Amino acid sequence: MDNRSTSAVLDSVAAMELWHSHLLREKIDQSSLLVQGNRACALGALDAGVRFFAGYPITPSSEIMEAMAYELPRVGGVFVQMEDEIASICACIGASLSGWLGMTATSGPGFSLMQEAIGYAIMVEAPLVIVDVMREGPSTGRVSAPSQGDVMQARWGTHGDHPAIVLAASNVADMYRLTMAAVRFAQRFRTPVTLLADEVVGHMRESFSPELVGRYRLTSGDFDFTPGYVHPDLAREVHPPHILGSEAHPHVTGCTHDETGFPTNDAKKSERFLHELYDKVTNHRDELCLYDVKNEGKGRVCVVAYGSCARSARAAWRLAELEGLPVEVLHLYTLFPLPIEVIQTVARRVEFMLIPELNLGQYAREVRKLAENWTTVISMGKIDGTLITPREILDQVTRLIGKYESV
Amino acid sequence: MSLEIEEFLHTERLPHIWCPGCGNGIVTAAFLRAALDLGLKRESTVVVSGIGCSSRASNYIDLGTVHSIHGRAIAVATGIKMARPNFTVIVLTGDGDGAAIGGNHLIHACRRNIDLTCVLFNNQIYGMTGGQLSPTMEVGGRATTAPHGHVEPPFDLCRLTEAAGASFVARGTAGHIRQLEKLIKKGIAHPGFAFIEAVVPCPTEYGRRNGTANAPRMLDDERTRSISKAKAAGLSRQELAGKIVTGILHEDTTAPEFLQAYTADARAQAEEASAPAAKEQK
Amino acid sequence: MNPSANAPQGVRAAGPEETETPRVSARVGLLADRDFVEVRFCGSGGQGLLLMGLILAVAANHDHRCVVQTESYGPEARGGHSRSDVIISDTAIDYPTLDSADLLVALSQEAADGYTRSLRREGILMYDSGKVTNPPSFPGMTIGVPFTRLATEETGRPQTTNVLTLGAVVGITGVVSVESLTKAVMEAVPAGTTEVNARALARGLALDYAEWMVDSC
Repeated sequence: MDNRSTSAVLDSVAAMELWHSHLLREKIDQSSLLVQGNRACALGALDAGVRFFAGYPITPSSEIMEAMAYELPRVGGVFVQMEDEIASICACIGASLSGWLGMTATSGPGFSLMQEAIGYAIMVEAPLVIVDVMREGPSTGRVSAPSQGDVMQARWGTHGDHPAIVLAASNVADMYRLTMAAVRFAQRFRTPVTLLADEVVGHMRESFSPELVGRYRLTSGDFDFTPGYVHPDLAREVHPPHILGSEAHPHVTGCTHDETGFPTNDAKKSERFLHELYDKVTNHRDELCLYDVKNEGKGRVCVVAYGSCARSARAAWRLAELEGLPVEVLHLYTLFPLPIEVIQTVARRVEFMLIPELNLGQYAREVRKLAENWTTVISMGKIDGTLITPREILDQVTRLIGKYESV
Repeated sequence: MSLEIEEFLHTERLPHIWCPGCGNGIVTAAFLRAALDLGLKRESTVVVSGIGCSSRASNYIDLGTVHSIHGRAIAVATGIKMARPNFTVIVLTGDGDGAAIGGNHLIHACRRNIDLTCVLFNNQIYGMTGGQLSPTMEVGGRATTAPHGHVEPPFDLCRLTEAAGASFVARGTAGHIRQLEKLIKKGIAHPGFAFIEAVVPCPTEYGRRNGTANAPRMLDDERTRSISKAKAAGLSRQELAGKIVTGILHEDTTAPEFLQAYTADARAQAEEASAPAAKEQK
Repeated sequence: MNPSANAPQGVRAAGPEETETPRVSARVGLLADRDFVEVRFCGSGGQGLLLMGLILAVAANHDHRCVVQTESYGPEARGGHSRSDVIISDTAIDYPTLDSADLLVALSQEAADGYTRSLRREGILMYDSGKVTNPPSFPGMTIGVPFTRLATEETGRPQTTNVLTLGAVVGITGVVSVESLTKAVMEAVPAGTTEVNARALARGLALDYAEWMVDSC
């Protein structure tokens, strides 16, 4: 094939996807469509009312930015490709301080560059949505190898004690509706929300059932972008937002500040302020922690999984059913704030908790801290850039139950 | 005079943190007078700064102020300007904040020619962290991190920004208050990216290590070394060594401004989006 | 405020539903009766493999079946390895990447050598016999067709090879219906090439695999 025809082919891949995303927007309740995870994320953002996006190209997340670049000007929004990821997230913060909601998408290396600014956004209570389509790291790693190596970066990447809301998508529908949930959480709690996906979830195309989307679609009442608006139920916890151009002509600073918005060196005031930032998130665990249990109460082993590993866990559970092995699956859509009660409730009733993840046990450590009083927590990490297969999980389950039987 | 600028000052937050003899207050006051003269409104004016001595200016200014993170003021300002194109957005930054850690954002803002005004306070040193060298320090200058004399050549920020695409480039000094005020005023009024380098004395961290910590003498020195663009034109590179070329160095009011270009394009896209039938026929 | 009213509706009870979806068009072929089938296209960058996977996936979607399509490629836009996997199922697909292929379509020697081991033993190996001159040993059904030559003969354009190959894949295996494939191909091909691609597709669909069977090794 000569170069000209090849580029025509590549163009038609893009054209076809754009065609599909338009169809999706127009006929969302009519027929099932094949949509790429990253495109579904962009659609979720657009449907949630995101109108500002700044980004920098990085595999495997660029399709989100490309879709936003195409769509935003068509719906009265603003898109800009900045000179790096730091500039991207800072531009988003600028937009958020102006009463918009800024969104960006990246992968591990870019997410690392953003960390300082994420801390600033937390400190100045600027709502942001950051999508991290994880790839193998550290450093350049392998750009098209899936990974879940950024879980702890999403939690503790920026310095200092701070809250974090971290969601994890496992399929194309998740990319759509968890993006919407991320927008909602960011806007309600006025803090950055990170949506983690991995290369497989971001790049795969999947039949995206409109019926499913319809069911999980948030209603428009869930989003209120009025500048300065704080939900009445959070009025005591969330500080009034800084909106540039408002009557208050505020001062916004990353310095620890008091209610005037200006820096303070008062130990009591700064402690209280930092606690308030933390508490507004952790006090609302119930609302923030999204999860799903399969075979609830019927397992001796519970597979706790998120992202693409949750798909392997589900498949393993189906195989286990066939073999008569008692397995539950706890699929977490929210990683942080930690779903403490959810994990501990399951821990009280199962003998083993098995945590398959595409890292060396980053989330297993969190689960172990919460669950080890009641159950045995086993980490099942894999970092070869391939997914954990259902068979691998099932083998581990069989081994655990077998070991138990022989005791 | 001082009463006038109090309109835009948080007087209750004074005294400021700057050392006696520091030029930052002079530049800040020049900016405030320019803002008053231009009739800028609180509800549509935003000052963004980064981190460093000069960036502290935003703490005292009673307009919408964003004290952002080190080096990123221009990036934050870009987001604000794109979200609120009708705002007047001014970046107050320093040589470390704007030309070292934030140098990339500076040149890209120039390239975009986005309608921001950047006033860079150049004192050739990191004051807040205690006298480390900056990218505008001349060869031979002394700093805590150049104890034996600096060996690297400095940036000429005005030539840099002009080459990068800024459509308004000017230089003034704290020693020429009126000129500086005029330059800032013109810069704010300019439709496109305006870069104004304000050369300021830092007696405490720079002066003490480089000849004199006497602030009036440092201001005098700035005046004697200053030379207009017209006079500089006839001089050789050797003759220009040590001189501060002041005034408007570059001005192009016809260069396309980023947001205007973007908005026009977006409008066309939106029209196309609202008429899908016409597109299908094509 | 009621906290449950506050929660994003339904997100808590997430996950694909496991309901049987209706089939619209008849599928005929060696793999037509499978309720779960895994297909891998492989070759080198620039051969249009990603588009082939995408078209097949869109066609399966038109058949109202569950489908997941993933791909892998090197950093090269031209050359290098490239593969596209399509999983088609009557029920929700959990594990998203290919486990072992029921059908492998190889358009280069390297791809045939590298990926034949991802085929299950009872699977089908198809390759472009003009490119894969040294077929790998495979015990199952092996079909070698000079796809590029046939496409050039039929349309005068080697670029239509991928559409012809898709026609052959569907004609032989029935992994998707002909009706849906035709629809998906016509959605995907550049304007102005509809007619040549329709010819390539028809030629592929008409292939008699018995004619191209290779003795298993």
